[in-house]
Amino acid sequence: MAVHEPQRSSPGSEEQEFEFHTGEIRASGEPDAIEFVDVHKSFGRNHVLRGLNMSLPENKISMILGPSGTGKSVCIKHIVGLLYPDSGDVIVHGESIPSLRDAELFETRKKFGVLFQDGALFGSMNLWDNVAFPLRQHTEKGEDEIGEIVNRRMREVGLGGEGAKMPNELSGGMRKRAGFARSLVLDPEIVLFDEPDSGLDPVRTALLCELIKEIHAENGGCYVVITHDIMSARRVAEHISVLWKGKIVESGPAEELFASENPFVRQFLSGESAGPLGME
Amino acid sequence: MVRSVAERAFPSIRHVLEEFGDMMILTGKTIWSALRPPYPYGGEFVSQFLFALRLVWFPLLVSTVAINYGAPGLQAGDFLTLFGALDRLGGFFVLAAIREIGPLITSIVVAGVAGTAITADLGARKVREELDALQVLGVDPVKNLVVPRFLALMVVTGLFDIYALLFGIFGGILAALSFGQPLGPFWGTLFANASVTDLWGSVLKTTIFGAIVAIVCCYKGMSASGGAEGVGRAVNEAVVISFLGIGAFNYVFTQTLLATHPNILVIK
Repeated sequence: MAVHEPQRSSPGSEEQEFEFHTGEIRASGEPDAIEFVDVHKSFGRNHVLRGLNMSLPENKISMILGPSGTGKSVCIKHIVGLLYPDSGDVIVHGESIPSLRDAELFETRKKFGVLFQDGALFGSMNLWDNVAFPLRQHTEKGEDEIGEIVNRRMREVGLGGEGAKMPNELSGGMRKRAGFARSLVLDPEIVLFDEPDSGLDPVRTALLCELIKEIHAENGGCYVVITHDIMSARRVAEHISVLWKGKIVESGPAEELFASENPFVRQFLSGESAGPLGME
Repeated sequence: MVRSVAERAFPSIRHVLEEFGDMMILTGKTIWSALRPPYPYGGEFVSQFLFALRLVWFPLLVSTVAINYGAPGLQAGDFLTLFGALDRLGGFFVLAAIREIGPLITSIVVAGVAGTAITADLGARKVREELDALQVLGVDPVKNLVVPRFLALMVVTGLFDIYALLFGIFGGILAALSFGQPLGPFWGTLFANASVTDLWGSVLKTTIFGAIVAIVCCYKGMSASGGAEGVGRAVNEAVVISFLGIGAFNYVFTQTLLATHPNILVIK
């Protein structure tokens, strides 16, 4: 991946606002699986993504880190085509997602596994049927083969034997793990995690992070984790993109970002109160 | 500059127009998805049809009998008594119950009972990100969720119109009896004025009311945001917009039907 030039700021207040946004993208040594090219997105008067340029490499666990409300979840929705940019492009494996027709988009989505914040399990189905759903929907596999895959994935996430439970009988952590199992059953090339640590206690967060690492080591592919939890980032991140005010502050291999001299990146990755990021 | 001032001055008008446009697009997508293979929505259609049937039959029975007994029955009966023309009550029921009250009460009850349930269900799925998960798993929510609800509500509302007409006329019979009238003149003027046009007009109008309710309620559910409070707001808006849509379409349909079938203007 090429090292990009830092973004240029326009003069005046915008220059001050993006004072720490060098936009530096450090080489990761892997080709890009996902690219955001000058993406702008607004919701009413709220300009969430403000010229986002970001690359997420193949075969790495990438983390998009940033304070709350900076557009991290909006990024995931752009990647899978649930939202479209007002301008700019989102490219996945060389395909422009906003340019795809509906039928092509539904086909492309088969390469994604997504773990939503609360698991997004279907309330009308038990856990087993939830995990089996993508296989029944997209493959010609028989019930025996589906059962084998579902049982294996459920065992991997520690939910073996819980298949008969309904989503409303599960704790938040169990719902997330079930969502994780469902996102993996089609062996996706890209797995997206929307705040996998939200609502979990520190031990379960650590266990989920370990699980993400283990499964990535086994399956490979591009894993993208969205979070604002630095502990999770230290545990699993191989590549980090720091997002603030709808733009990348800095991006690159995790060890280089943790050693960054950028005051915002340093403050955010160390979790200090003193620095450019305030309560505003 | 002008655009900016207009946007500040009329934000709600713009929002209303955008929502109306989105609902029109959803209607087009729904009809296209319903006609285009594959057809995976059979089971969901039956389930939604039975769900609406189970929820609506009793409130509709009570409201049609009560309203037809009270409004065109007692009120119009009282007025007709002034002219010694109480035998005309049956004829008036063709105008009131078959053409207007039956379709309106049916669609209002369907919107209030089944439509709100649809909005609440889809809204809850939306805020729990189930709809996003469905789309990511390659399932088209329009084909799998909106189409069966759209078809079920259309069919059930059209059929319920006939049910509402029967019980509405029963309300009229109660009113005629309460005035101490024999039922012969009631039936005589009813059948003298009723025509096939009245019946198909009533059923067609109500079926389209069902389509309006289904689109509005599905749209509001699928665009809900802001947690439980957002779902509540979506349900409230769905009912209000459904009633507005029903009222507006009723005006257009009635005018068109009267203009194209002038024979039904003649009171016998």
